[in-house]
Amino acid sequence: MAHIHLEDGSFSLLWVAVWWIAAVVLIGIAIYLVRSEKKPDRRKITLAAFCTAAAFAIFQVSLPIFGGVHLNLTPLIGILVGPAAGSLVVLIINILSAAIGHGGWGLIGANTLVNIVEVGIGYAMFRMLRSAIPDLFSRAGIATIIGLFCGNIVMVLIVIVSGVQGVNQSPSQILTGLSLIAALNMGVAVIEAFITGLIVAYIGKVRPDLLSGERP
Amino acid sequence: MTEPGAIKGRLAFLALFLLVLVTALAAYQLSGEMGIEERFTQAVGLEGGGDAEEGGGWFGFALEGNPLLYGVVLGVLVLGIILTFCYSRI
Repeated sequence: MAHIHLEDGSFSLLWVAVWWIAAVVLIGIAIYLVRSEKKPDRRKITLAAFCTAAAFAIFQVSLPIFGGVHLNLTPLIGILVGPAAGSLVVLIINILSAAIGHGGWGLIGANTLVNIVEVGIGYAMFRMLRSAIPDLFSRAGIATIIGLFCGNIVMVLIVIVSGVQGVNQSPSQILTGLSLIAALNMGVAVIEAFITGLIVAYIGKVRPDLLSGERP
Repeated sequence: MTEPGAIKGRLAFLALFLLVLVTALAAYQLSGEMGIEERFTQAVGLEGGGDAEEGGGWFGFALEGNPLLYGVVLGVLVLGIILTFCYSRI
């Protein structure tokens, strides 16, 4: 998964504000879309609650792989609850994570943007590949890898565009370093893809009605 | 699982899986062993190397952030799930 692991003060106040405003705009659109549904979907609300707790729980656990990494299940959130509700879920997870000391408050905006991309692309790929790949496990896995890849690109772009205060590295040096992190993150993405594939395939088997648009 | 679509999907997933894994292992060889925060601060050129991952935990699994707050927040979220589940009965 992609997450900007920098402390508060790494970005200038201007860029903290820019990413916060961008995230607030997207969250505003997500709230509008969720509220515009004629009738509240109770299943989706319950699934969103499950996703929030599960993703929060797993996000704080550092796995002993590649020196210490963690999962966050963002594409799974997108697949299960869609991009609108999923955007709200990742915002809550980022706020709660900062509240317990995992991540800076000023980076919540930027990290929420990264996670919204993962949620949105994961959801979109899962839907778009429906006719080409009917198998739920493979489709969810592929959607997860592509979603997390796009999230990594956004993460790198945000850091490059913002710049990091108090360092003398050129953007190309930062790009090189962050590209290695993105590649490592993708190693974790394959684990996340496998887990997401198993979960989606299982839900498709026992409760296909929870996967909107999928045939029982 | 013998449908052509399923086999095609599994093969595509396997190919992507292997490609990404090989790339990640190559990146790991290049960058060496370090925690994610340490890796991040070094990548952007910050001094101090970030907060190195603490040893210990359970078989290498460690919690990031305050463990007490983690338990409290997770407990509240689980309570929220139970209430939502009772309310919606999905």
